[in-house]
This record gives sequence, structure tokens and C-alpha cells, in this order.
Amino acid sequence: MDTKTLLAETKARFSHNAAKAYLKEKYDGKFLIAEQGGLWRAEPNIISFLNSGKSKTVILQDTFNNPVKVDRKSLSAKLQETYDNVMEEWYKEWQELESKR
Amino acid sequence: MARARKQKIKRGAILFAHNSPKYNYFSMAVYAARRINHYLDLPVTVITDEESVAKTDYSFDNIVITTPDKNNKRDWGMWINKGRYQAYDFSPYDETLLLDTDYVVNSDKLLKTFDISQDFCCHDRTEYFMQPNLPLEVLSAYSFKTLWATAVMFKKTNKTEQIFRCLEMVQKNYDHYANIHGFISGTFRNDYALTLALRLVNGHMNDPENIIPWNLLHIGRNTSVYPENSDPLTNKFVVLYDHWNRGKIKKEYLTIKDIDFHVMNKDNFMEII
Repeated sequence: MDTKTLLAETKARFSHNAAKAYLKEKYDGKFLIAEQGGLWRAEPNIISFLNSGKSKTVILQDTFNNPVKVDRKSLSAKLQETYDNVMEEWYKEWQELESKR
Repeated sequence: MARARKQKIKRGAILFAHNSPKYNYFSMAVYAARRINHYLDLPVTVITDEESVAKTDYSFDNIVITTPDKNNKRDWGMWINKGRYQAYDFSPYDETLLLDTDYVVNSDKLLKTFDISQDFCCHDRTEYFMQPNLPLEVLSAYSFKTLWATAVMFKKTNKTEQIFRCLEMVQKNYDHYANIHGFISGTFRNDYALTLALRLVNGHMNDPENIIPWNLLHIGRNTSVYPENSDPLTNKFVVLYDHWNRGKIKKEYLTIKDIDFHVMNKDNFMEII
């Protein structure tokens, strides 16, 4: 039996709450990147912090709480790129989901 | 001038597949292996036994034949899940993903685990599709949060070897550890053995670098999953949930794509492969 028939026969209702939770799970791990000897989560806080400085290098705690000396501009660019790409994908899928309401 | 030659790191996945009287784990392994090849681009070695291995048009990277320990039972019958500690010795790869055969690879997310740890990593948190906020499993009311042996990444290092040797020791003394930690030893669980072994090796604590920093997603109780189309490598599935409310079932569903998951209900898994 194909899934369309299955859903029609069981009169199943689409669960928006479950879909919202699923999207969060799906995209959560995608913000993580290994870069310059540390593991980072691409979040607005760290990107803003990196962009606010002027020095070439800065020492930051990575997600494992290890201090890592990084090239500020290069890490900022990589995190910004990851953040933008993941959020773009998430937003697109979220809009598809909202259109089902 | 001496020319330094960087040796290429060999990566791959291994699956344990010993058929029980009720379930064909070798067929599950073939299904899982095709998906691992497709989504992760990794070769797959299967650890199996003479009785389970079957003719298939799928070509494994390696087939390792062992003698399984059949001394384990679950509510539905014999469950051959012991001997997972042998993964370290049997893996022909420098960096290995050790997966349960009922773990459905549906994206390339697991490749990130190779960047997370220098030695070993596994999940310590879970979520259930359609059933958010279910409590995390613990060994017992007085013991630790369970780690999960469903999806593990390991590299061949001294520490990893110690973890697998310790896993062997815990398996062989399972009754003793069950007694100490207050869980029922009747059914051997790799998750529990791993929880204890990893803590022992890390000096009675968990090292964050051994933990995969996202949740393991289960298709759990009252929930079933179906592929959205007939493509055996499809990344789109429908999750159907029996929502019990005042003695009645209300069916709810969710469509998912590009996300890995673990199917707990083996009958359901046999339906989709």
C-alpha cells in the first residue's frame, strides 16, 4: 500500500508540532563545524564576537570547552557561511510546512 | 630531500548481522549497507555467521564469518547481540562507523562524527519522532544516563582499544555490573555495557569528546515508518503515530526527509526493507 492510500485510509492528521520538532532536530547538528583545531557551533553570538574584534588571532573556547587560538577573520567567515546556508535551508522547509496549515 | 608521503586514511562502516529465529538481520544489513554506500560513500564490512550469510546481489567490502554467542534473550525470542567488542579487531578501517542494522542512514550527517573525536564517540541523548519530551533512558533509578551503541564512530587508537577491551570485560561480567548498578541482567544490552565501559576508561566520568553532539532519533512505541515511494534509496519517509486519547486512537503523521533514524520496531523495519 502506498503512503497516500495509507494516510487516507487511516484518516491520519498532519502533526505540525511534531514537524516543527523534527526540523529542529534535523538542522541542529548542521551548525557544527570542525575548523582550526576546534569544534564550533555557528551561532550569532560567536559570529558577532569574532566580528567585533580587531586582532588577527583570538583565543576562544570551542564546544568541548577547550581554549583554541584561531584566526579571527577566517573562522568568522566560515561560521557565517555555515549559519547562512543552514538557516536558509531550515527557513525554506519551515515555509513549506507552514503552507500545509 | 626526503619526500614525505601522506598515507590515505581508510574509512568504512561495519555492521553486525546474526539472524535470530524471528528476524533476518542479514537482509537488514544489505538494506543498511546500500544506504551507507549511497549517502556516506563508505565501504561496508559485515560481521555475520555461516547460518545468517545469504546470497545477495549486493557486494560487501568484506564479509567476516564468526561463531555467534546465542546466549541472550528478549521478549520476542533469541537475540544475538553479544560480541560487539570485537568490532575493533574486525574493522579493516582506520576510522570506522559501527552501526546497528536497523539504523536508517538517510543523509551524510554521520560523516561529521569523524571530525568530532580523535578516538571514539556515541550518542548520549535521544528523541522520539512524534513523542517529544520522553525522558532519557537510565540504567536504573540510581545509575547513569544510558549511552547508545546504535551509531558509534571509532578510530584505531590506544584509547579506543581500551574501550573495546573494557566492553568485553563488562559483557563477561554483566551480572556483576547489573548487581552494582541495579538493572536487570536477564537481557544483555550493548547500550548498557557501553555506558559502563566508556565511563570506566574515562576515569568514572564521561568525556564530552566521546559524545555525538546531536540527538539519536528513534521511531519508538506506537509509531511506524514507511518510505514515501518505491525507490529503495529514497530519503523521504512518512512517520505514522497512534495517538491514544481517552481510550481512542487518533492517527497522526509527519513527513521527513534527509534525516537519519533508528527503527525500534523490528516488524516495522522488516516491512520497509
